[in-house]
Amino acid sequence: MDVIPDNLPAYLGGFRTTLSLTVVSGLIALAVGVLLAGLRVSPLTPLRALATTYVEVLRNTPLTLVFFFMAFVAPQFGLLAPLGYWTAVICLSAYTAAFVCEAVRSGINSVGMGQSEAARAIGLTFGQTLGLVVLPQAVRSVIPPLINVLIALAKNTSVAAGFAVVELTASGRRLALSNPADTLWALAGVALFYLLITIPAGLLAGVVERKVAFAR
Amino acid sequence: MVDPSSAAAVPPAGSRATGEPLVVLDGVNKHFGALHVLQDIDLTVHRGEVVVVIGPSGSGKSTLCRTINRLETIDSGTITIDGKPLPAEGKALARLRADVGMVFQSFNLFAHKTVLENVMLGPVKAKGVKRGEAKQQALALLERVGVANQADKLPAQLSGGQQQRVAIARALAMSPKVMLFDEPTSALDPEMINEVLDVMVSLAQDGMTMIVVTHEMGFARRAAHRVVFMDAGRVVEEAEPETFFTAPRSDRAQDFLSKILTH
Amino acid sequence: MSSVLYDVPGPVARRRERIGSVIGAVVVLVLVGLAARYAADRGIFAADRWNVLYDPPKGQTAADVWQSMIVRGLGATLRAAVVAAPLALALGLLLALWRTARGRWVRLPAIMLIELFRGLPVLLMMLFGLLGFGWDAFTAVVFGLVVYNMAIIAEILRAGLASLPRGQAEAAYAVGLTRSQTLLTILLPQAVRTMLPSLIAQLVVLLKDSSLGFIVGYPELLKSIQNNAQYFGNETYIALFVVGAGIYLAVNLSLTRLAVWLERRTGRTSAPTPGPTAGTTDAVGSARVGGTFGTGTDR
Repeated sequence: MDVIPDNLPAYLGGFRTTLSLTVVSGLIALAVGVLLAGLRVSPLTPLRALATTYVEVLRNTPLTLVFFFMAFVAPQFGLLAPLGYWTAVICLSAYTAAFVCEAVRSGINSVGMGQSEAARAIGLTFGQTLGLVVLPQAVRSVIPPLINVLIALAKNTSVAAGFAVVELTASGRRLALSNPADTLWALAGVALFYLLITIPAGLLAGVVERKVAFAR
Repeated sequence: MVDPSSAAAVPPAGSRATGEPLVVLDGVNKHFGALHVLQDIDLTVHRGEVVVVIGPSGSGKSTLCRTINRLETIDSGTITIDGKPLPAEGKALARLRADVGMVFQSFNLFAHKTVLENVMLGPVKAKGVKRGEAKQQALALLERVGVANQADKLPAQLSGGQQQRVAIARALAMSPKVMLFDEPTSALDPEMINEVLDVMVSLAQDGMTMIVVTHEMGFARRAAHRVVFMDAGRVVEEAEPETFFTAPRSDRAQDFLSKILTH
Repeated sequence: MSSVLYDVPGPVARRRERIGSVIGAVVVLVLVGLAARYAADRGIFAADRWNVLYDPPKGQTAADVWQSMIVRGLGATLRAAVVAAPLALALGLLLALWRTARGRWVRLPAIMLIELFRGLPVLLMMLFGLLGFGWDAFTAVVFGLVVYNMAIIAEILRAGLASLPRGQAEAAYAVGLTRSQTLLTILLPQAVRTMLPSLIAQLVVLLKDSSLGFIVGYPELLKSIQNNAQYFGNETYIALFVVGAGIYLAVNLSLTRLAVWLERRTGRTSAPTPGPTAGTTDAVGSARVGGTFGTGTDR
């Protein structure tokens, strides 16, 4: 039981890496995902097809497979992605971007047709309809699912443990192996730190969702 | 619904003859896939005229209404508004739409904006009216439709009837040449229908050019100069309300009226 | 067609779209071409990188390679998924029912279980099984898949129950059904049907998560790719990976298609009516979003 307080620095180190992976990959995934969503709703067929293919492939691929690709297969292409932090960031953001794209796209589609018809009917141009009516409403309904995507990302960073990144789960595994009498406690400590991220974020998503629901 | 006995509210016929043609549909056709929803529609609406379009559901009356500001495109024929052909796209279309007010069945108030902002948005953004001026005008319009005390609420906090009256104020704020009403009372609870119809009647009295798709026969009798009866994508019959309701010429109109007036 | 974003295009817009599409197509093709040339320059398409699939070296036959990947690799992946899925469904159902219990304090443990397992990585759950309880890799993988997915499935079913019109329960009480009869014979079947697409989407997630077995030492599909590549030489990684990725995509895309098809079908048969029930349709909508994104994202 003392394994948790005794090894606090190791936990905190892992926790810091997990947080940093989440934040950095999350920001990249948000940027790429929004761009992909823009392509996916574009009237230009080839761009739409490109984005759709990307999203469908990544969403139906296990994240482990993405890591596996970067770790073992990509080096055969001469893409020498050294195992480690930045490889994990690339994998996590590439994977999460697909889910960000879907969340954004469904947010846009959740804005009723009547809203943009009404905007057009009072003489707003395409840009005004988009900027004044559609996007402000899409942003509201997109935030709860986006928070969920980021919660999933926080948990997904654990896959990096299998590919030589010492984040929270990897730290916990080390502690579990070096404290054979206290493995359960060592792992429970890891769980605690994950819940520190996921439960508040989940509550936040719930609050935002309820707020959005009232505003309808 | 509306008591037809109060018919004398507006002096109907007569005033129409003064206006020149404002909205002209000429040989308009439209298909939805295999369905021919508008078939060779010719319709002229004069300035100051109130035209009520009625017909069974699926007769194309709503589609007709929506083609006039190009929310629906047409396959052939021409639509002219105030002497100018309906633009196909871009800024010209946006300007045209600013001149054509539209009221929807489902209100379609901007859900994220307050009542006041809903009414101000068009004048400020599409016409470049100054905010202060737009606000005065919006408050006056909200006063006119009787919801001025709700100005700072969000649409979702209003009843259906109030929302629809705000929607009318939003359309009026653009000082439109013509107002389109696409089944404005069909989504309302019965007790709220009259508060909306009353606003529409007073608009008609003020000389607004109106094209109204509705099931409210009382409104047609009370405020319309002309009734257009549509069925299966065609204009089957056009007449003054009194004539239409008392002595419809076509079998289909007789059939339709017998179905809705028996209760 | 018009959409939330675009008006029906006029002639100018249509011409712009055509030109833009041509430019877009050229850009996409050039990118693909550059990637292909980059790959070709590095000998990616050389026969010795691919012959492992049809004429492997070291005296092995193609059948050996394929058998190791499909029968042993994919077989092990599917075995874990097939054992875990029914368990997760059954336990998820129990949790969902428990969560609807009347007393707040009776409900609380169910809520805590759901929130706990929903908030933890599946890999950590597997490590609990492997290191904490000292189980073998297969049991640990199945354990991780079951506890996580039962929590998500419980949430999906709860959302399904919440999305049903209140009138369903009222009508059931009105004809004299008890609370549990109402729940089991009227509400739950409808909730399951409404949420079938989300449940299938969750199966995709479960199947994808079984690949975490690679990390905890369960010899599944990825492990068989690695074993083959290490035996035949690293240059065979690409060919073997393409097969493995192809298998995952084929299985998952078929399941996803099935879910989409079901969603369309159920969407059509139980089309929500406009007006007063709009609140209910919103609940369905957000429940589905929760089902396919909140949970679908969890790998």
